[in-house]
Amino acid sequence: MGQLAFGIGLLVAIVVLAITHRLWAPAMGHGGASTWRIAKITVAEARRRRVVQAVVVLVLLILLSMTVFSYLNPREQARMIISGGLSAITVFGILLAIFVAAFLIPQELETRTVYAVLSKPVRRFEFVLGKYLGALIILAAIMTIMTVVLVAVLLVMDHFVPDLTYSTFEPNLANVVFAAVMSYFAVAVLSAYIVLISTVSSTAMTVIASFIIWAIGSLQSQIHDLAAGAETVSTKWFFTMFYWLVPPLENFDFRHEVSNFMQVSYKAGIDAAGVGILYIIVVLLVASVFFNDRQV
Amino acid sequence: MVSDEIVLQIEGLSKVYRSLFAPAGTKAVDSLTLGVRRGETYSIVGPNGSGKTTTLKIVLGLIFPTSGKVNIFGSDVADLAVRERVGFLPEDAYLYDVFTGEELLDFYAGLFGYSRRRRKELVDELLSLVGMQANRRVPFQECSKGMRQRLALAQALVNDPELLILDEPTSGLDPAGRHQMTELIYELKRRGKTILLCSHFLAEVEEVCDRVGIMYRGRLVAEGTLTELAGDPTEIVITASGMSPEGASRVAAHSAVLGVEGDVVRMGHESSDRLWSVLDAVREAGGRVAEVHRPRPTLQDVFVRAIRQDAPERDAGEEVH
Ligand SMILES: Nc1ncnc2c1ncn2[C@@H]1O[C@H](COP(=O)(O)OP(=O)(O)OP(=O)(O)O)[C@@H](O)[C@H]1O
Ligand SMILES: [Mg+2]
Repeated sequence: MGQLAFGIGLLVAIVVLAITHRLWAPAMGHGGASTWRIAKITVAEARRRRVVQAVVVLVLLILLSMTVFSYLNPREQARMIISGGLSAITVFGILLAIFVAAFLIPQELETRTVYAVLSKPVRRFEFVLGKYLGALIILAAIMTIMTVVLVAVLLVMDHFVPDLTYSTFEPNLANVVFAAVMSYFAVAVLSAYIVLISTVSSTAMTVIASFIIWAIGSLQSQIHDLAAGAETVSTKWFFTMFYWLVPPLENFDFRHEVSNFMQVSYKAGIDAAGVGILYIIVVLLVASVFFNDRQV
Repeated sequence: MVSDEIVLQIEGLSKVYRSLFAPAGTKAVDSLTLGVRRGETYSIVGPNGSGKTTTLKIVLGLIFPTSGKVNIFGSDVADLAVRERVGFLPEDAYLYDVFTGEELLDFYAGLFGYSRRRRKELVDELLSLVGMQANRRVPFQECSKGMRQRLALAQALVNDPELLILDEPTSGLDPAGRHQMTELIYELKRRGKTILLCSHFLAEVEEVCDRVGIMYRGRLVAEGTLTELAGDPTEIVITASGMSPEGASRVAAHSAVLGVEGDVVRMGHESSDRLWSVLDAVREAGGRVAEVHRPRPTLQDVFVRAIRQDAPERDAGEEVH
């Protein structure tokens, strides 16, 4: 009942906004449109640079090569492929995020392409948002390709490996996709942090900092334990702050559950995604504030 | 064409670049005040590092002043509406290099929210204005410096701006390219655009500018129209061939003549009413008069003079072409 009301309310709000579009759009400038245009050109640029294509090919090769290993136990083989495939998706996703996101803004500053853009009626936050959105699209495309290949490999195996029946395998496919989507959220959150750092530092510094943040983000639960076990109030306070500051990357990691055919809590995933989106919004806001004061 | 309305006002602008390594900072711009009138072409001229680019970047809100303020069309630079009416050609402009000229212009036009149809027309128009129609499908990274500079200028014109800000529009171009760029600026000036440009290439500025501000070490050391800056001619120079040596010494003895060196006779401008008598003397000495002219001090001379006045102890005119 409550959900229905919420849905209707949302629909009404969208319709009202659409109808009154002409009234509020001028006040927004070309805001939304500029952001979208910057995102699009960021994606188009990445497509034309062979680097991204090369990485996709490399990843596909790795995923496919895993199928040639044959193990005694089909179930074990499936486990290996799922675990290896998801790890490849996650790690390559993160590495790509670092190399895409870390270059987004610093590259513009270093090649001075930013001047022609920021001297147009484009707000700084629109630029930051457009760049981030562009990175999200690039990363989504690459990770989708990787996931599709992984699923295809599993389906093919399911067909050719005799002892592997649909009953033991099929339900897990959805989980594999779920785990990949969750990895994408981790990548999205990390990318936002990287963009934030890149608004105040050079490319090299951003890349280094990104790796550090990835490492710390993957240790969030340890930091939580440190906070819980802290002896003094000040250290407890420090670790708690730290816990909230680092990106919650661990929450997005469902590789273990999925590859071991365990029960997967979709609810935990949705909660993690919600928290992730909140982190992204806050981090991008801070990034926009920083970039607003950046001397370009 | 030039009206009294001030389109761009810079007031008491100072900029100190500070960094971790130089906490005291570099003073790039020092209490700069200048105004550009509607329809006028104003050029900031100064040697490398005199703060020209810094000034223009502050005007566009790309960097922020340490003190002072900039006013464009009566508003603050931060106002987005101001940027709808301004075009900027950055120094050594570089655009997204994997895209072609037409793709780039379409993108920049899109930032003004123009419809697809309008963008298409605009791109055609701009490409032919800057003479890039034939090369419209060449990726920026494969463009020559001249082509890049033209695309960068086209990029500054997508919104048909009232005020154009050009940072060294002719730098890096060969003589033909410089000439074409100067012609283009002329054309834009003819279309009524207000232009603020900066350059260290004095000869070109001389051709296109209504007013010149000379900047040195962050300060405006002289400002005015070319005639104001250059002043009136001070001498008359007569070039005549075939004077005999003794004839030449007779000419040199003429009271209006300042000196004779080979074929060149110089006389004071204040005695211009006695030009004919000097010419007669030259003819009597066997000279055939080839040319009589009154040289104005070039902007180069003005430049060096202004800098000397400002900082007599320093070696003035460094790095001026
Ligand atoms: N980002 C920066 N950080 C620190 N110092 C800077 C920066 N940009 C410029 N400067 C310094 O400020 C001064 C003025 O530089 P600016 O680029 O404005 O000069 P310019 O007149 O445009 O010179 P040019 O003719 O070479 O283009 C120089 O001393 C320069 O070293
Ligand atoms: Mg400069």
